[in-house]
Amino acid sequence: MTRIEPLQANFDLKVLNKKQLKQVREATLYVLENVGVRFPSDRALDIFQEHGAMVDKDSQIVRLPAEFVLTAMGKAPRSFTLFGRAPDTELLVGGGHSYFATDGCGVETIDFETGDRRLSCKDDVAKMALVADYLSSIAFFWPMVSAQDYGRLAPLHELDAAYNNLVKHVQTETVMGEDLARYAVEIAQVIAGDDDLREKPALSSLICTIAPLCQDKEGIEAAMVFAEAGIPVGFMGMPTMGSTAPAVPGGALTIGNAEAVSAMVLMQLIAPGTPVFQSLLVSGMDPQSAEYLVTLPEKYLCNVAAVQMAHDWGVPALGGTFGLNHAEPATWQLGRDSVYTALMCALAGTDITIGLGMLDASTLLVPEQIIFDDEIYHNHRILARGLDTEMEGIAVDIIENVGPGGHFLSHKHTRSHLRDIWIPELTHPRMEPEDNQNGDIRKRARDKFNQILAEHEPTPLEEAARHEIDTILRNAEADLGR
Amino acid sequence: MSEEMYAKLTQAVIEGEPEDAELLAKQALEQGLDPLTCVNEGLTKGIQKVGELFASGEYFLPELIIGAEAMKKALAVLEPAMVGDQSREVVGKVVIGTVEGDMHEIGKTLVGTMLIANGFQVYDIGVDKSAAEFVAAVNENDADIVGASALLTTTMLQQKKLIEALEEANLRGKVKVMVGGAPVTNSFATEVGADGYAEDAISAVDLAFRLIDAPA
Ligand code: B1M
Repeated sequence: MTRIEPLQANFDLKVLNKKQLKQVREATLYVLENVGVRFPSDRALDIFQEHGAMVDKDSQIVRLPAEFVLTAMGKAPRSFTLFGRAPDTELLVGGGHSYFATDGCGVETIDFETGDRRLSCKDDVAKMALVADYLSSIAFFWPMVSAQDYGRLAPLHELDAAYNNLVKHVQTETVMGEDLARYAVEIAQVIAGDDDLREKPALSSLICTIAPLCQDKEGIEAAMVFAEAGIPVGFMGMPTMGSTAPAVPGGALTIGNAEAVSAMVLMQLIAPGTPVFQSLLVSGMDPQSAEYLVTLPEKYLCNVAAVQMAHDWGVPALGGTFGLNHAEPATWQLGRDSVYTALMCALAGTDITIGLGMLDASTLLVPEQIIFDDEIYHNHRILARGLDTEMEGIAVDIIENVGPGGHFLSHKHTRSHLRDIWIPELTHPRMEPEDNQNGDIRKRARDKFNQILAEHEPTPLEEAARHEIDTILRNAEADLGR
Repeated sequence: MSEEMYAKLTQAVIEGEPEDAELLAKQALEQGLDPLTCVNEGLTKGIQKVGELFASGEYFLPELIIGAEAMKKALAVLEPAMVGDQSREVVGKVVIGTVEGDMHEIGKTLVGTMLIANGFQVYDIGVDKSAAEFVAAVNENDADIVGASALLTTTMLQQKKLIEALEEANLRGKVKVMVGGAPVTNSFATEVGADGYAEDAISAVDLAFRLIDAPA
């Protein structure tokens, strides 16, 4: 059965106080007005110019006064709905829940059968979509690895594999450029069926900005196509302290914030009211090898600050979690770091959050990792909920009833509430008729993964829709080559 | 007197002071010192020391990069002043960049920096560079090696295009091609006809030495 159990945080974790939030906002607005952001797209530059921004066509740098930014951002909705292809999969983003998704878009896979490390392919995306469809931690899906067997059309085939194996909402982070974006919109329209895509976006998109202070031509041009089609678009700044950003968290946040908001402003100029969201993933680098590091306390703090900053613009926040620097599942390090990334994000109130199931800084798919992350997610879901201190939650009457001494084991109240206490499944498996638990947690995770893969049957995509998507893929191939 | 100047140049590189290095180079010429000796006895010793400090974990990347920067500034003053057939000894000339459509900058920059620290002359042409731009840079700088970085599965195919473009320009026999970046593998490199693949910056340096048949 396909289920979604979203997280709802009863805490309000903040890293920045009011004054600090204001400082970052002012620094961001200063940068936007005085330094500017490069938009290497004639179309984007023209639109900015038409609307009265300061545009230098030679350097392609756009500078935006504070008023300009705030007016445009005033048009962006604080909440919107994402749709899947089945009932009960809609997500009200910005409505107080935090919806989690898989990680993407890796380039290698630990083979499902042989265990060898190899290049990723479309079938990997399909299998992971099916498992994600089952897991209740996953509310929407990022194609987890690249469909490398389809060359430059990989991003479209990732969507095909996703829609065919999962009913939940799909978000792409690989569809770049106008051409691919147009075909992706066509595919999304097939999923939306007779409904207006604007009303029922079955696809959303996440585009990265290029630190420091640039946009990607292909990225921003895809974003414009999506915005016009009514598909929600998020912008993610990925400043790395010391290489693509100053070696101070505040500077990295400011750079990413300026990049992302300048792109969101453009969306509001093109199609006012377009659903947009913001994400800032600050990272560090190994000071000698420059390896991309996400397992740093500063990064975790920035994750929380980033949520506050998105909300400060009045748009939903996408948090980036898991996807840690390590290639082995079930290790001490992963246990430690998963808590900081995912729990802190959740407590800060991210609206949507990506990251389950990937290792090696989001480049390596290890099949059973998603089972570990799923379990950590559910831990967090309970943690974020907080405690119930209402009458039912304290149960004074039952305390009174049992009195001093004795026990609660035989009480009906216990019978009906014991199941509310969530018990981690991997570390505390239930008894099974034949004892096949060998005590190896990795094997248990793997067994569960294999079982889902073998038994779960997502509602299939309708025959007609499948054919339509096939036709779109064939047209794309004829038009763009592989 | 001259010994003191060489030591100061060495120091400016070790301490990573580009402005000082430039100024010292000018002063050295004013004092009539031989530019090539200034390079060999001053700057080269400095960058070697920087390399050692980096290798021993004491120096971080910014120290390495700013050290190389200081050397570059002083070289810009000293090299034009060299006379006759005097020229600085470089291990090899490398053109490096990230392929078309790809904006990932850091891996390529790091590989370039490590090559500089190991005595190569490096021309970093930047990110999002077409095959034609690579070819032009190879011609212009008479490069021995061209290095192409690609971080996306969708842009790694550009490495193949680059090799085809080099063939078309009749440069393939003359220039070695090395490729790298997250999705790139040894077998992909062989498949597209590159001369070598490196997983990280350290092995990229080893590879570069092997490609030009020089001892590392
Ligand atoms: C010539 O010889 C050689 C030899 C060795 C060579 C070499 C050349 N080049 C590299 N090497 C080797 O030596 C270096 C040193 O050891 C190493 O270089 P690396 O570059 O690997 O290592 C660096 C020192 C540090 N590593 C990095 O800097 C890259 C880290 C990751 C996280 C990454 C980053 C930071 C970025 N990204 Co990008 N990015 C990812 C990367 C995932 C990852 N963890 O690797 C990857 C590569 N990105 C990806 C994606 C999808 C994208 N990115 C994009 C954008 C960006 C940023 C701009 C935000 C940023 C780059 C900032 C910048 N100015 O460089 C977009 C594309 C933009 C474009 N047109 O290029 C965008 C499409 C996202 C979007 N929706 O917009 C994924 C690729 C998926 C795929 N299908 O291929 C990705 C694996 C992340 C993920 N899991 O999603 C070796 O590879």
